[in-house]
Amino acid sequence: MIISFKDADTYIGTGGKSLDNTKRTLCFLHGSGQNHLSFIQQARFFAYKGYSVIVPDMPAHGFSDGNPCKSIKENAEWINDLLVKLNLKDVVIIGHSQGCLVALELNRIFKSFLKSIIFVAGSNIIPVNQFLLDLSEENPQKASEMMVTWGHGIDGDMSINKWPGHSHYGEGNNIMCMNKPTALKYDLNSCNDYLDGINAAKKIKVPTLAVLAKNDQMTPLKSGLKFVELIKNCETHVLDCGHFLPSERPMELNSIINSFLLKLE
Amino acid sequence: MSENYKFDTLSLHAGHIPDKETGSRAVPIYQTTSYVFNSTEEAASLYNMEVGGHLYTRISNPTVAALEQRLAALEGGASALACSSGMAAMHLVVSAICSNGDHIVASSKMYGANINLLQHTMPRFGVKTDFVNPNDPDAIERAIKPNTKLVFGEVIGNPGLDIMDVPEIAKICNSKNIPLVLDATFNTPYLMQPFKHGANIIVHSLTKWLGGHGIAIGGAIVNGGNFDWGDKDKFPTISGRHFALGGISFWEEFGPSALIAKIRAEGMYNFGPSLSPTNAFHLMQGIETLPLRMKKHIENTHSILDFLVNHEMVEWVKHPDLETHPDHQVAKRILPKGSGSIVAFGIKGGREAGKAFIESVQLASHLANVGDAKTLLIHPGSTTHSHLSSEAMKEGGLTDDMIRLSVGLEDINDITKDFERGFKAVKKLNK
Repeated sequence: MIISFKDADTYIGTGGKSLDNTKRTLCFLHGSGQNHLSFIQQARFFAYKGYSVIVPDMPAHGFSDGNPCKSIKENAEWINDLLVKLNLKDVVIIGHSQGCLVALELNRIFKSFLKSIIFVAGSNIIPVNQFLLDLSEENPQKASEMMVTWGHGIDGDMSINKWPGHSHYGEGNNIMCMNKPTALKYDLNSCNDYLDGINAAKKIKVPTLAVLAKNDQMTPLKSGLKFVELIKNCETHVLDCGHFLPSERPMELNSIINSFLLKLE
Repeated sequence: MSENYKFDTLSLHAGHIPDKETGSRAVPIYQTTSYVFNSTEEAASLYNMEVGGHLYTRISNPTVAALEQRLAALEGGASALACSSGMAAMHLVVSAICSNGDHIVASSKMYGANINLLQHTMPRFGVKTDFVNPNDPDAIERAIKPNTKLVFGEVIGNPGLDIMDVPEIAKICNSKNIPLVLDATFNTPYLMQPFKHGANIIVHSLTKWLGGHGIAIGGAIVNGGNFDWGDKDKFPTISGRHFALGGISFWEEFGPSALIAKIRAEGMYNFGPSLSPTNAFHLMQGIETLPLRMKKHIENTHSILDFLVNHEMVEWVKHPDLETHPDHQVAKRILPKGSGSIVAFGIKGGREAGKAFIESVQLASHLANVGDAKTLLIHPGSTTHSHLSSEAMKEGGLTDDMIRLSVGLEDINDITKDFERGFKAVKKLNK
């Protein structure tokens, strides 16, 4: 659905079902240079399980207009305002990569309605090398292609996909190309500049789940494992794939998330 | 660890890694119609397109999927779908995008079945086509109407060997927000990858060079993922609400792969032109050697061109790699590795000479196919077009002395020796 929000058309994927703010809502937050299509195999899956699902395209991403947010804090405030506008009272945040940093900050400002946080390929810190930061400004398409290649495990190289006929690289590049050209630059800089993850992680009181990837080159497993130690009682799983868990291991990820959600009820 | 494998490696490996249970190095042939569901929940999630997987081989199959993913990798596309033939692929694309009242702009110099589909079959369903010269981008632009839903052509035209100026035509299509659909059978991704030149959708007859061995009929659609289907008024079948699956919008939920999702959910489901898993396996065996074969096809084609151009019994030779071909400069630009292995030539002596030549060669096979590893020949004047007068053939861009040659991989000396046998018979006839 498209709503007018902060003077811009904003797209929110709902997994093919209508948004119902009386139900528990799963709010998926995409990563740097991504959009709602990062969660193709999660949105419909959980919407058809009976959850209310929202997958917002952040400003200047996917089908959303507006100007890109320029920091993790700004992203979190934007999401917070959106959740308030939609009058959601029982929310589980599921962040992927940059979406995990946004979830950490959101936890600080959206406490009352936040029931749980799920971190997918997350960490408290996502440093970005200067080469990629520069490239994201000079040639965002090339930067996107490099991220798609680095981000996937062997399934990307070998064009192995659980969705018959789909290519991780071809699809991934085109998903990133749907965003406004400046979106990636601000996303990567937001990640690189975010240094308060340790404090933010320690403040989490709600139940948490982390699903990390063994061959993650964007948020390395080592960093992810240090991160989860900062959070009290964070249930942790490691899958054998690259950074793009939602498309590389959709069934395994969905199954872990589903079991966790059932335990929350 | 990401490697970003190159074309030759992807030809062998893309779409398959050995499974942990059996370790099978070759892609297994999953010769099954259907798949056991672990639970009703899992079945429902597949039917609702919540997650990827297989539920019935008419829609998808693991062996066919390996082929699809290999093709997507080789073309640099977002997704691919394999089907029973190249013509099935063509029909699936047209029927997914167009509805009653829509319009297509297509090349006037194409394979007969492509023309028949657009000129005679689709108008019965309210979809009309204007045919224009593929070498004239201005004419293509002029032919586009408000209800035009796609522009279609062949990268290398069959049988006339006209070369479309893909980058130029792609620019026009892009400016009008109309997808450029190309039949890329004659070039294969080895010689040219149309998405790099701005095309949006590719259809292939896999039966030809991709399969390469003349043993299996198959087709494929590769979706570039680079087209914006978001205009709901213009492309309601892709971005509007589908009649099933809870009114899914393929564009909203699948983005770059919306077209393939639509075709799988409607075309494969309702028309059913599925590819058999065994044929998918055969076609993949062919693709494994595509780079090696294409190199040799081009090498032999260039040798045979030298032979024919300098032969006293040959009236004319047509191939885009010859400077005399009207599209030679375009071919050099977009097909730098070579313009395929189809050659057309005329024999001195007209229709009877053509017939004598065909009947006298013994290594080259006289049949109606192209792209086999073996050398193939046909003389349209005495076979496919024998009912037409010389004048009528000329109107269709053919001449009655014309031989269509699909250059194979045999030793070049054996091919030329075989042709000398044919020319000798023509000489006898002319005397």
